[in-house]
Amino acid sequence: MGDKADVWQGTLALMVLKTLEAMGPLHGYGIARRIEQTSGDLLSVNYGTLYPALLKLEQEGHIDSEWGVSDNNRKAKFYKLTRAGKKQLDRETRDWRQTQEILAKFLGAREQTS
Amino acid sequence: MRSLRAFLVRLCNAFGTTSDAELSEELESHLQLHIDDNLRAGMTPRQARREALMKLGGVEQAKEAYRDRRGLPWLETTWQDLRYTARTLSMRPGFVIAAVLTAALGIGATTAVFSVVDRVLFRSLPYPEADRIVSFGVKAPFEGLEFMLAPEYAVLQAQQNPFESMTSLAPGGTDCDITEQNPVRLNCAVVESTFLSTFTIHPVIGRDFVEEDGRPGAPQVALISYGLWRSRFGRDPKVVGRELSVNAKPLEIIGVLPANFEMPNLAKVDMLFPQVLDQASLDRNNPRILLRAIARLKPGVTVPEAIAQLQPWFRDSLRFVPAPFRAEVSLRVRSLRDRQTGDSRVGAWVLLGAVIAVLLLACVNVANLLLVRAASRRRELAVRAALGASRARLIRQALTESLLLAIAGGVAGWGLAYLLLRVFLAIAPEGMVRLEQASLDFRVLLFCSGASLLAGVLFGVVTALNKPTAEWLVGRSSNTPRRGWLRQGLVAAQIAFSLILLAGAGMLLRTLWNLQNVPTGLDAQNVVAAQISLAEHRYPNTTKQLAFFQELETKLGRLPGGGVLALSDTLPPSGGMQATFFASIEVPGRPRPSQGTGGMVGWRMVTPNYFQALGIPIVQGRGFTEADRAPSEQPVILSESLASRLFPGEEPCGKTIRFTAFDRQGPWRTVVGVARNVKNTGLIAEADPEFYIPWKDDLETYIGRGFVIFRSALTEASIVSWTRSQIAEIDPTVPVEFSSMSTRVEKLAARPRFNAVLLSTFAAMGVVLAALGIYGVVSFYVSQRTKEIGVRMALGASTAGISRMVLISMATSTVIGAILGLAGTWFGARLMESLLFGVPPHEHRLLLAVLAVLLLVVLLAAWVPARRASKVDPMVALRYE
Repeated sequence: MGDKADVWQGTLALMVLKTLEAMGPLHGYGIARRIEQTSGDLLSVNYGTLYPALLKLEQEGHIDSEWGVSDNNRKAKFYKLTRAGKKQLDRETRDWRQTQEILAKFLGAREQTS
Repeated sequence: MRSLRAFLVRLCNAFGTTSDAELSEELESHLQLHIDDNLRAGMTPRQARREALMKLGGVEQAKEAYRDRRGLPWLETTWQDLRYTARTLSMRPGFVIAAVLTAALGIGATTAVFSVVDRVLFRSLPYPEADRIVSFGVKAPFEGLEFMLAPEYAVLQAQQNPFESMTSLAPGGTDCDITEQNPVRLNCAVVESTFLSTFTIHPVIGRDFVEEDGRPGAPQVALISYGLWRSRFGRDPKVVGRELSVNAKPLEIIGVLPANFEMPNLAKVDMLFPQVLDQASLDRNNPRILLRAIARLKPGVTVPEAIAQLQPWFRDSLRFVPAPFRAEVSLRVRSLRDRQTGDSRVGAWVLLGAVIAVLLLACVNVANLLLVRAASRRRELAVRAALGASRARLIRQALTESLLLAIAGGVAGWGLAYLLLRVFLAIAPEGMVRLEQASLDFRVLLFCSGASLLAGVLFGVVTALNKPTAEWLVGRSSNTPRRGWLRQGLVAAQIAFSLILLAGAGMLLRTLWNLQNVPTGLDAQNVVAAQISLAEHRYPNTTKQLAFFQELETKLGRLPGGGVLALSDTLPPSGGMQATFFASIEVPGRPRPSQGTGGMVGWRMVTPNYFQALGIPIVQGRGFTEADRAPSEQPVILSESLASRLFPGEEPCGKTIRFTAFDRQGPWRTVVGVARNVKNTGLIAEADPEFYIPWKDDLETYIGRGFVIFRSALTEASIVSWTRSQIAEIDPTVPVEFSSMSTRVEKLAARPRFNAVLLSTFAAMGVVLAALGIYGVVSFYVSQRTKEIGVRMALGASTAGISRMVLISMATSTVIGAILGLAGTWFGARLMESLLFGVPPHEHRLLLAVLAVLLLVVLLAAWVPARRASKVDPMVALRYE
């Protein structure tokens, strides 16, 4: 696996966790739609990446899955955040914020000097 | 932690049976949800479905990515490779058996032999910093090993010397008996008080000897071996301080030796006594005690430096050697290992060399097999490459196959090594140093497996390394196969190695044959000998000893069924007889030589029937008679070589001679007869001259050991049981050892036989391997050229012509291999020189025979496929792909 995929996957994982925290148990399709909507349709979730990412989170124990029935009576696999996932979300959110701050400062500083 | 958990889950999935069904279902539901949404957004059903499908993208790609994530892809590929390899290999059982057996032969033989010679050649002795421990002393013609005279040893100990510590022990062990409840005979040794400290060994319990223990009149003390402590005292820690009656005298046990303790002369030992030297034995003018000296060199001092530093002392002590003998005495310092292994070393190196040649042959063969296989699989590789396999994947596949074969070869080799080692131990002669300690060595097994693995991997991967070309797909390799020179080189190497092995085996077999046909000078058929040794505490003086033998002679003389009975103090053809210098034999009216010892002359005490019992002809004069045993008579019988040396061109019978033994001038003796020469120092060495004196009942010398010799038509077993019962009637405690005379003679050739058998086995293995290898190469050559052969035949080539063409293709490599092999043999013969007997250094006939055998093997191995080639139907061959 190359570095790019990791970064993307990492970001995707954070988005998935955040979505599940905000929405409660949700199926893959729902997660994808929610991420796309939240991003104001700037992002398009590739399902070839989404499902392996969900699997990875599940293997790591951050989310749990269960078959259930959707609002419109369709059978679907629902994912929900575990306690470990909640912690992971908090940690990643913090890290992300920090990174963002550093980058913001860095970019800001550059603009001033130039 | 989290990633570990994920890894475990994936590992389980990799082996689990999770199907893709669940993912399909999930993707299906995903699609449905999407379509529902689209419908809700107002699309037509068809539009909705189309849009959802487009958004979802490649379902298969998604599944692929999902699968990769679910399990461990590399593990699965490996598993896939393994299954694939197993499948392809099971289609070629012949190839697999050949490769695995070849590897197993090489690995097994090398591991077994290395396990045997490791202790002789490489493993360090069980003492701390054992490389600093040396054996030292003077070397003189009458004694094979270096020794020290007690006074000279004491002088050296008192002055500056190159040793950190020096110690000594009495030569040879002594028998001793525990003479209290449960009497038992032990092996005992007498050592100086500095013995354990020189080796840096500490008793497991109790104390070491101290200087006071060696003072004359000190209370008797002893150290006991771990084995004795365990077997007799049940590891009782209170054994220290215990009194024990040994040889009917009380002594105190002061300590127990460690379990891994071993004597520097490798003798078995149960008990150590301190050496007691009184003032009289330290008189330089009258040395009486002989010692074996061992020392630990000071750190950084080498053996040559030690020899240089010992020179002043050595020159000083030479003053006490009689002037005529000085030139024959030299100083010797050598590592303890050299002293222990002595002449075993050359044999060990030769065996190791031979087995390494077998290993190389095996590696070459494995390489050859894989090379041929790889070449025949080029088409398959090309197909797989065309179907999208990456080069890395192809190489990995080839590696997997080589590894699988090497592992199988290693396992089979391990089993073979185990068996071979058992066989070695079973057929090994006595006196092979440290053989009983040999055990299979894992390092060697790993090394050998590694070697065959490397060969396999190197050659197995060679083909995969090449980029498969479209040309291979066609499968027509009508042009000369590439790397032909590599295969030819392998053939040359095989011929060279097997030539060396065969020549070596031939020389050893020739040696064995020569040895077995050495005239020993005696007739060993129907002769049984019994060795009897009397315990010193039961037979403390000559009177008692002689009384025992007198009674023995009378009793045994009544042997039922008749036969000839004789007694002697020693027995040919092995050494160990009494000896004196030639220069010490006096002939009246002749000046004694002023220079040199004249070499050694052996002598024995024998009863009159000795010559008849052993079948030694008396060539001049007469043998001994019963009358010769009277105290007044002093006859002597000379061996032919001694007679011709003492009385060249004269009639020896009737002459008188006198010799010195045990520092005492003997009486004048009359020569009454001359006996045929008998081998008396082993089979190889030139026999020493010797003389015989009659066994009398009034001797003053100690005679604690003797041989009873029977020549009888009775079976050995009946003689043994009858003699045992007769001896038990006199004294049941006397140990007796029986052996037939022919066994005794056979034993002398045991070591050469062991070497010859082993080397011949290896040579046979080598030749078989080489034959297989050559067969493989020629077969491959033929199969590669089937089409060409077809064309030639269609154009009118004869079958003989085709055969010739195939055979000639092997000619270059055969010639090169033979030349290399001859060169190798020349070096090998020099290394083996000391193992050979009666084989000229450049034995042309033998070499020619070996060459002929090898050429025959090559021809045969090449002829079978060549013949097959010549039988090819041109039409079939032309269509052959």
